[in-house]
Amino acid sequence: MHEPENFQILIGPQHPALKEPTSFTLTLQGEKILQMGVRLGYNHRGIEKACEDRTYVQGLYLIERICGICSHSHSTAFVQAVEEIAAFQVPKRAQYIRTLVAELERVHSHLLWLGVAGHEIGFDTLLMYTWRDREIVMDLLAMLTGNRVNYGINTYGGVRRDITTEQKQEVLKGIDALEERTKYYVQVASEEITLINRLSGVGVLARDDALRLGAVGPTARACGVKRDIRKDDPYAAYGEIPFDVVTSDRSDVYGRTLVRLGELMESYKIVRHVIHNLPDGPIAVKASRKVPSGEALSRYEAPRGENVHYVRANGTDKPERVKVRAPTLANVQAVAHMLKDRYLADMPIVVAAIDPCFSCTDRLIAVADGGPGRPDIITWEQVRQHGVEWHRRHGIDFTELNRTFRCGESK
Amino acid sequence: MALINRIVTWARVRSPWILHFNTGACNACDIEIIAALTPQYDLERFGVLLKGTPRHADVLLCSGPVTRQIKDCLVRIYEQMPQPKFVVAVGTCACSGGVFKGCYNVTGGIDTMLPVSAYIPGCPASPTAIIDGVVKLLRSLEQSEQQSKSAVGV
Amino acid sequence: MDELLAIQVNLVKKFPQLVGKTRTPRVRRIFADVAIQDLGVIFDYVVKDLRFSILCTITGLDQGNKLGVIYHLARESGVTLNLCSAVPKDDPTLQTVTGYFPAAELYEREMADLLGMKVQGLPQGPRYPLPDDWPQGQYPLRKDWKPTPSQADPAGQGEQNHA
Repeated sequence: MHEPENFQILIGPQHPALKEPTSFTLTLQGEKILQMGVRLGYNHRGIEKACEDRTYVQGLYLIERICGICSHSHSTAFVQAVEEIAAFQVPKRAQYIRTLVAELERVHSHLLWLGVAGHEIGFDTLLMYTWRDREIVMDLLAMLTGNRVNYGINTYGGVRRDITTEQKQEVLKGIDALEERTKYYVQVASEEITLINRLSGVGVLARDDALRLGAVGPTARACGVKRDIRKDDPYAAYGEIPFDVVTSDRSDVYGRTLVRLGELMESYKIVRHVIHNLPDGPIAVKASRKVPSGEALSRYEAPRGENVHYVRANGTDKPERVKVRAPTLANVQAVAHMLKDRYLADMPIVVAAIDPCFSCTDRLIAVADGGPGRPDIITWEQVRQHGVEWHRRHGIDFTELNRTFRCGESK
Repeated sequence: MALINRIVTWARVRSPWILHFNTGACNACDIEIIAALTPQYDLERFGVLLKGTPRHADVLLCSGPVTRQIKDCLVRIYEQMPQPKFVVAVGTCACSGGVFKGCYNVTGGIDTMLPVSAYIPGCPASPTAIIDGVVKLLRSLEQSEQQSKSAVGV
Repeated sequence: MDELLAIQVNLVKKFPQLVGKTRTPRVRRIFADVAIQDLGVIFDYVVKDLRFSILCTITGLDQGNKLGVIYHLARESGVTLNLCSAVPKDDPTLQTVTGYFPAAELYEREMADLLGMKVQGLPQGPRYPLPDDWPQGQYPLRKDWKPTPSQADPAGQGEQNHA
């Protein structure tokens, strides 16, 4: 009989599920994770330093490319900080357009997440459907901004493109279709037993731990922590737009799923409000090239949580200091905590459930084994497949659901 | 030997197995690569399959400007791939370093470390551009197969 | 009383040395300049008594002959309090705040790696964000730092490319 021994497995840095190189080191005893270590740094590109050598305009394009999922969050957070220092009075219409793009970004990001989460647990049909639906919002973003990602919509003092009446109609049509589809996902999430069983009681984070460890975004809101920068420290047009902050008391991955689904529905509301209440007026004010000495802290609710930018200006056309703290960095310790004493088979979905943007935070997770074991190196894909198989043996099998799941076929 | 080569090329052109590797990218290209595999774009109709391991891959799809931490890993992965193998640089960063060129932790494009067979620019490279690039690579393989055929007078 | 004003009044009452050292550039933002010898007790007070229970991040800066540090703290109400201090560059020692905020570990390691800040009391752990083979004593975020030839060319290729 094989004695469960402590052994170490290193996962990564080739990490298909997270789509970035990361390194996880897990200390295992049999199937249980005793401890998880995180080694970050594979995506460190030296952006903050680079900003000091670039003008504010050049820096804007660099900052936008910190993350290819929440590019607008970084671009807007940065632009807001600089505008505050320089006292540029951004017109209302521009604030509304920024908000529109921000919510469309949240929609694409959450749909992307749903698909990735499905993939992690073996529910690949969900990936195909959500990413198909996501193309609706990608088309809207491309129509409004000229690109599917890295929208380049922001400029100092406002936005670079206006929105036409026809485009407004397209956005409303697209949102209607997306809302229809999302309702179906909400239904599946509330009724499909296989999915509920798979995600419930997994990745549990007590509310106190969420607060202590500084978790942000849907990860924290799923623990009943009602924090959302759009409400607590409003920016852009959010101070004028009615919407609800979605929370759950479940404190597990299922709760995080419900929160993101709820946020999708709220985003559709916000988008409609923006379209119907878009103020007239200019889309930008003239902005000087040089920014007077000063500093500003800018906070933004990115799809993953609070994004923080700090900028210090020195009177030239280049910043003195740019500091970025992307949301995933705040959730990393929480994730290590969630996986203590949990099964290896749950690792992929628990990590995925914080919606890690390792590019934002440039992280590499290494799991170190403490026992007298032999080190093993496996890929994330192997852990993912192990997870799917393990749960299949324990009664959670997505084979049938993959075969039968349909979404919006009649449309 | 020539017959084996032709069979291998035929198999590769009909169904190349792809390994995707991110060398420090912002994720945008990575998402678009995966989007290229979803039904709307459906790269799989070209017989392309995404594999998780270098030992079974014909084509290494790379995104990102190569960071210091990842460069040795990138080379190791390439070395694990069996011949013949091809590297595709997806996105402006992979082609040249993009906006990150000159940053202290970044080497530049993929071709600072590996020989690149195809460059797919874009920030990010769109799924249609990725498909276009991969298909062009396959066609060039087909053409070199044709050329070797005519060279041996078949 | 306006929340920002209330916080300012409270702070200078408790710590008279902060008179004239606080500013409120806009709604929900306070910046305070704190001498390094006062940082520990003021930090403790604002976190515990003034309920700034959220640490957004920690920014390190190169300020010439000093290394600056800013603790960006926030409250449930959305107000942020930014505590700015500095240590001499020839002995840039800071005490860890991981006792208050475990998440500070990564922000403090970042300052250590990129600026050469010496943070005392940090638990054992891997460096972040630089690679293990990064040369000693090289702090990229310092103003006078320029990459060495090998750092400017980490691929070791010179001007050549493979293509």
